[in-house]
Amino acid sequence: MWTRLLILASRTRSALFGSRLDADFRDELQSHLDMLAAEELKKGVTPAEANRRASLRLGGIAQLEENNRRARGLPLLEETMRDIRYALRSLRKNPVFSAIAIATLAIGIGAGTVVFTFAGAVLLRPLPYERPDELVRVFETNPLRRWTRNIASPANYADWRTENVVFADMAAYEQYFNEGSGASDVFLTGYGDPQPLKSLGVTGNLFQVLGAQPLLGRTFSDEETFAGKARVVMLSYGFWQSAFAGDPAIIGRSISLSGATYEVVGVMPREFFFPGRDVHVWIPVAYSPNIFKNSRRPHWLGVIARRKPDVTLAQAGADMDRVARALEEQYPDTNTKMGVHLEPFQGSLAFESRPALLMLSASVGLLFLIVCANIANLQLGRAIARGRELAIRRALGASRTRLVRQLLIESLVLSVAGGAFGFALTWLASAALARLAAPSLPPFAEIRLDRAVALFAAALSLSAPIVFGIMPALTSSRPGQLSDRTASAARDATLLRNALVATEVALSIILVVGSVLLVRSLVQLGRVDPGFNPDRVIALTVTLPSVRYPDARARFLAFTDIERRIREEPGVQSVGASSSIALRGATWTGDLTFQGRAADDYERDIRHSSITPDYFKTMGIRLLSGRMFDERDRVDQPRTTIVNEAMVRKFFRGADPIGVQLKFARPQDNAPWIAVVGVVADEKQDGLDRDPQPLAYQSIGQQMQNPLTFVVRTSLDAPAAVAAARRQVAAVDKDLALTSVATLQAVVDDSMGSHRFRTLLLSSFAAVALLLAALGTYGVLAYSVSQRARELAIRLALGARRAELFRLVIGQGLRPVALGAVAGLLGALALTSWIESLLFGVTAVDPPTYALAMTLLAAIGAAACAAPAWRATRVDPLRSLREE
Amino acid sequence: MSDRSDILQGTLDLMVLQTLDAMGPLHGYGIARRIEQISEEVLQLNQGTIYAALLRLQQRRWISASWGVSDNNRRAKFYAITKSGRKQLATATNNWTRIAGVIGRMLRLSEGR
Repeated sequence: MWTRLLILASRTRSALFGSRLDADFRDELQSHLDMLAAEELKKGVTPAEANRRASLRLGGIAQLEENNRRARGLPLLEETMRDIRYALRSLRKNPVFSAIAIATLAIGIGAGTVVFTFAGAVLLRPLPYERPDELVRVFETNPLRRWTRNIASPANYADWRTENVVFADMAAYEQYFNEGSGASDVFLTGYGDPQPLKSLGVTGNLFQVLGAQPLLGRTFSDEETFAGKARVVMLSYGFWQSAFAGDPAIIGRSISLSGATYEVVGVMPREFFFPGRDVHVWIPVAYSPNIFKNSRRPHWLGVIARRKPDVTLAQAGADMDRVARALEEQYPDTNTKMGVHLEPFQGSLAFESRPALLMLSASVGLLFLIVCANIANLQLGRAIARGRELAIRRALGASRTRLVRQLLIESLVLSVAGGAFGFALTWLASAALARLAAPSLPPFAEIRLDRAVALFAAALSLSAPIVFGIMPALTSSRPGQLSDRTASAARDATLLRNALVATEVALSIILVVGSVLLVRSLVQLGRVDPGFNPDRVIALTVTLPSVRYPDARARFLAFTDIERRIREEPGVQSVGASSSIALRGATWTGDLTFQGRAADDYERDIRHSSITPDYFKTMGIRLLSGRMFDERDRVDQPRTTIVNEAMVRKFFRGADPIGVQLKFARPQDNAPWIAVVGVVADEKQDGLDRDPQPLAYQSIGQQMQNPLTFVVRTSLDAPAAVAAARRQVAAVDKDLALTSVATLQAVVDDSMGSHRFRTLLLSSFAAVALLLAALGTYGVLAYSVSQRARELAIRLALGARRAELFRLVIGQGLRPVALGAVAGLLGALALTSWIESLLFGVTAVDPPTYALAMTLLAAIGAAACAAPAWRATRVDPLRSLREE
Repeated sequence: MSDRSDILQGTLDLMVLQTLDAMGPLHGYGIARRIEQISEEVLQLNQGTIYAALLRLQQRRWISASWGVSDNNRRAKFYAITKSGRKQLATATNNWTRIAGVIGRMLRLSEGR
């Protein structure tokens, strides 16, 4: 073994310093010859005879040198180097071919790398926890409420935790809605201006379940989950760095978050996040132990568990079903039909973005195949042109293996160059791409070009030649193809090239159909009326710390003061506030009972929202019947509500609900009755692509909520308006800070961000695919016309009209296109289920889309064929016949 | 490799090692001459052949090479046996005598029948 290594080392050195060693050996042989000659001279022969005898005794110098070189170096490596040099030379001789091939490969590999960067960050890169594969999200399910992946109630979580036998442990964190992390806004005070932070409430054992060790200090203990022991906080690395300059003495110090004091017990390492990178601090949920015994009805916990190492997901699911059934029996009031759903944790984090990422991955795979087909096509075309060169090399004794290897190395050189360019492009564009992708990726995903991405690009570059290089290499090195004019060889190659064109067209059509569907979805989405007028409206969220604003009255005074002050700013036309933010989901849901219903007849999970009277006016939401809120809707007055159209449609079948009494509780609960006094038009709540849900508004005077989002319609530009609002909020309380500051238009745009992102990517893939298909079509036809010049000339000489020739050539060119188009359409139809869930306002089987894709393809195919066909009609019969 | 005197590769390597061990550093010509003399011209070496052996031995670090000046003032490349070369020589000599003994006994056996 050691000896082999030595030999390899020595051979490698020789391979690298070959020319110097050659000279050295020649010198040595020369000195040997001189000594031999001197010996012979002593025998008394002439110097010439002595030299002759010396040469005889030593043996042929050239042969010795060649043997030495071969035994000394790495013949395979050296031959490969020679092949690479030869390939470079031959590619340099064909700059147009090389440039097109390298650019195409750069696009194919670059696009693949970009998509891998996104998909890898979300789906593949392991989470920074111990054995992340064992982590499982645990959801409540309930067919009665159409829950499939619902957050859990505290008592259910606590019982799951104690009753199961399949999990090492189970932890929970605040999550008030099924989407998003549940982190809330808090403010760090005492370090300059109040700093808005995202804080996540967790159970004390969360970090143990994750298997995450702190960088400094300790993590929470189980008892710290509960109120009374919970004044402790853990910091994220980023926040520790930015707020405390990475001071290790922070451990044990107290910091003030929204007016409450917490002791810093630990700092997490740089790579740690949970559950997204947007969370700055973790604090215990701080509820009384009773909540975990009794509270089965509000659902506000995300639950994460660690499987025991020998337990499969299916076994865990079976055991949790058992636990859920026991709870169902024990608590029929709350747990009827309540089941449990398990998901791998990473999968659950990526749940929203996975369909789009998979679609993009598949699309970029198709694009990569098109790229390969296109280059194979170019290579075949070139191989025909190179027929003579290859034939000569064969005649000179190059084996077929040797030729194939040479051709494959050419492919490899192309591919590596293309891959290098592609990766460089990705690298240059990575910042822009990360920005573009951000709204459509989950908050934990970090877009960076790491080693995995580089390896992926390298793997693509190395595998591409296998796809596009082998077939042309085998075809063009076939024995018997001794002449570049062998008609049958050219015909074979042309057949192959037509097949490749058809393939390219078929794959492109699939991409084009997909992208047209997405574009149409985006257009439909852009046409959706959000239900409010976002023009010149800014939105900003204000959270009142409960320490200093403990009750509804204090909060009411502060919020109305802020609203009044902003209204008095110059340029402000109107200002209102709401507890929910447009297009960002619901904040409060609860049971709803209409007066006169039976004790078990009530609606679940109905949204409600608290607003100030001017909210509708500021948002431009129309009143359809009844009245708006006003001074009458105070805390000491009869309770009132305004409902939206969706509520009227769903529960009143369109009849006027004014005067109906309802309450946000179950029929048997003791809650005040509320009178419906108005109906407003729907505003979109969860995004432009989701139907508005039934929603009841109350005035903050009667139902306080915290935080509130203020909306300000103003004639000022956005930065000035925000500055003015900030000033007025600070004037009320200098320790308040604004969060989620944005123009309403930006909120609307953001809500389309993920649609726009995938549409943009897929459309550019489709555009490139079409271009490549056109190139392929053009190349094959142009070559064929040049080959058929003689035949065309004869036809012309025999009296064919030029228009007929044009039709003839176009027909020939379009045949593979048409074939590919039909195959592609069938393929697209077969793949519709992939894209169905990403569409809005169109179905995957949308006739206009298919018609448009076909028209687009026909136009581009015709354009690609027109030039060669036109050239066919320009054939000069005399000249081309004479040339032959 | 077609040598005029069809000797085994390993044999030539062994002879070169032995020569260098006995004579000290030598150039290619010297080694070739020495082998011719010892074999009393039985082995008519194509002298170039020893360069293949020299390369093999160098690659295994059993000999080292450096340029120097010969007795009659010529520039020549000198080869010297290394420590691991001596070890190899001992092993190979051992093997060789053992095998030679076995073959000798076998040949004698067939003779005596």
